[in-house]
Amino acid sequence: MQDISLHLLDIIENSVRAEADLIKIRIISDTQDNLLRLIIEDNGCGMDSRTLDEAQNPFFTSKSDRVKKVGLGIPLFKQNAELSDGAFNMTSEPGFGTVLRADFALNHIDRMPLGNLKDTLLGSIVGHPEVDFDINLIYKDHGVEQSFHFDTAAIKEELGDIPLTYPDVIEYIDQSLNEGIQNTNMEDV
Amino acid sequence: MKTLTDLKKIREKAQEEMKLRGSNTRIKIVVGMGTSGIAMGAREVMKTFLEEIASRNLTDVLVTQTGEKGLSSMEPVVDVVEDDKPKVTYGNMTPDKVKKVIVEHIVNGRIVSDYVVATGN
Repeated sequence: MQDISLHLLDIIENSVRAEADLIKIRIISDTQDNLLRLIIEDNGCGMDSRTLDEAQNPFFTSKSDRVKKVGLGIPLFKQNAELSDGAFNMTSEPGFGTVLRADFALNHIDRMPLGNLKDTLLGSIVGHPEVDFDINLIYKDHGVEQSFHFDTAAIKEELGDIPLTYPDVIEYIDQSLNEGIQNTNMEDV
Repeated sequence: MKTLTDLKKIREKAQEEMKLRGSNTRIKIVVGMGTSGIAMGAREVMKTFLEEIASRNLTDVLVTQTGEKGLSSMEPVVDVVEDDKPKVTYGNMTPDKVKKVIVEHIVNGRIVSDYVVATGN
């Protein structure tokens, strides 16, 4: 994975596979605290404490139908957070969902870039019409705060039976995300 | 700034169009978005499909993402599913290959056999 938003995409796919129909994503960039924080919360099937431990081990995968018994997604995300003076934390409860938090030191030399957040979010929103995404981007810089909130449930309600893959809808979501990412200074993080 | 009023206009336009040509989805495209697919560029493949659909105004094509399907060595992998036709799986996809698949297969109905890695279910 070359950037943080690719990790985010990987985690979103985990949530979808856990049958979540609501994924909350919060990204906070705080210059004063030198912190880049991602919180991803889903209402999927969750994990018991043993599975939760195992998920952070590269030689574990829940994809039981496959031959290759490795799951590198979460361990790599964890490693990348820890390499940049950050932290990684996952909590889960069977039947309720999973919350994942990854912290990065914003100015750390080994921190990977946030990358193309817009493409990650656009693909996930349009590619999983059955899932609602509640997205919050927050930029803090010495008392100045800019935020962007995007809730796909409201959009779907407005659209009725028009699919998210309808060309004008793709453009609408694309432009909304672009504006929000620019307003919160997240295009070059 | 985009508002929900913009969406209302889109909905009205889309409903008009659907009255004229029906609301059928002709083709479903499924982009594999497992860990290995993501590492090999599946996000850019997905994005290119969405761009092409928007710019060519393809209103009867659906694109979704799915998890790993056990074709890791051929990622990114894309399925094209049409009613009454065997599923076509394209492998080692790139944005350029996506553009070709859109023109040849999705628009003109000709399978791009050079990129096919599997067919049928």
